[in-house]
Amino acid sequence: MEQPNGLILEMQNGNERAFSKIYALYSEAIFGIINSIVLDESVAEEILQDVFVKVWNKSNSYDIKKGRFFTWLLNIARNAAIDSTRSKASKASKKNLSASNFVNILFDNDNLNQKTNAIGIKNFVNKLKPACIKIIDLLYFKGFTQTEASKSLKIPLGTLKTRNRNCIKDLRTIVLG
Amino acid sequence: MTVEEIIASGKLELYVCGSLPSEEISEIEEAISSYPEVRKEVEEIETALVHLAKIVAPPLPAMIWTSVLNSIRKVRNINEDSTATNWAAITGWAAAILCIGGIFWMLQQNNTLKDDIKITTTENNELKERINRTEGKLSQVNELLAILGSKDFDAILLPGNDAVAPEAFAKVHFNKRDHLAYVDATGLPKAPVGKVYQVWSLKLDPLTPTNVGLLGNVEENGTNIFKFENIPDPEAFGITLEPEGGSDTPTLSQLYTFGTIAP
Repeated sequence: MEQPNGLILEMQNGNERAFSKIYALYSEAIFGIINSIVLDESVAEEILQDVFVKVWNKSNSYDIKKGRFFTWLLNIARNAAIDSTRSKASKASKKNLSASNFVNILFDNDNLNQKTNAIGIKNFVNKLKPACIKIIDLLYFKGFTQTEASKSLKIPLGTLKTRNRNCIKDLRTIVLG
Repeated sequence: MTVEEIIASGKLELYVCGSLPSEEISEIEEAISSYPEVRKEVEEIETALVHLAKIVAPPLPAMIWTSVLNSIRKVRNINEDSTATNWAAITGWAAAILCIGGIFWMLQQNNTLKDDIKITTTENNELKERINRTEGKLSQVNELLAILGSKDFDAILLPGNDAVAPEAFAKVHFNKRDHLAYVDATGLPKAPVGKVYQVWSLKLDPLTPTNVGLLGNVEENGTNIFKFENIPDPEAFGITLEPEGGSDTPTLSQLYTFGTIAP
């Protein structure tokens, strides 16, 4: 998606309306990321709130010329979520995080029943290969570096990159048709 | 690297995920700003990933946005407060505290004054009562003086009995016509405990004493002058010391004063 640079600049100048539009654009996706890490909706809600307060207060630390705004947001959210699981249970680490992925929390909890298009979501996710779910979960939802992910999945770095690219290609086909 | 190589490398996907090592990022950013195809590719990757995260997200409560707004506004207000001292607020609070303190002080003063008034009223009442009593006593004494001064009364001196009480004396003011007598006991010593003075009227020939009455507690009466009525025509008066309650006949050995009436 094209980045809303105009809104980002206005938010950086202290425009609350621009900030509210940015919240509307990204909050749901960021909430999904946080929830896949903390595995607790009420904790995820608290962290989401903290993350967007942080985004507002530190909006000037993002530079439009460098990097994607979504990636900047993603890093803040994943770090806050991982910090929260570390402070809650000291044993929690990236290894422990990999025990659950964004798909099985979706089916473990009753979340799906609350969503109106539960069947649509199921169909959507079922189109992804299990290997893709694993790799997208680590690199995107859990924020593993490429080295960490290749170690965790026991595949060479080159294979990881190619597989990840192909998985996201599949995803693009599902999303964009 | 050519544009095609970059797109095929899988680095763009890692870049959007934030998983690319920092030393490889600048290369990708240069390519994004140089080649619209690369930018479009990145945008499509991002769209797909944002969509995926949205789909797996639990329902998002609307109140979170409200909380975010409240938080960022609170922070701003705290900053404003800390930068400038709010003298108006401080003055206001100080005035309010002084005012409340003043009200409490005045209430206390009021209570103290009320107490003072109560005490003064009581004192006034006591003084009034005392004046009433004194006035009453004064009028009694004046009445007595008027009675004793009138020509209807004869004054009879009862000197002390040398054998018993040579220093003692008494006076009797006697009204022959109305058979009244006022006995002035000022000259008698205080009666011992368990004893009482008894006044007698006497006929001399033969010696016949008749009881007139007892001189009650001298101190209680206040005037030391005792009134007696229905006195028969006597020739003399005598006062004896008798056991409490008086006696039927005088104990002559305890005759303190005695005086005859001039014919």
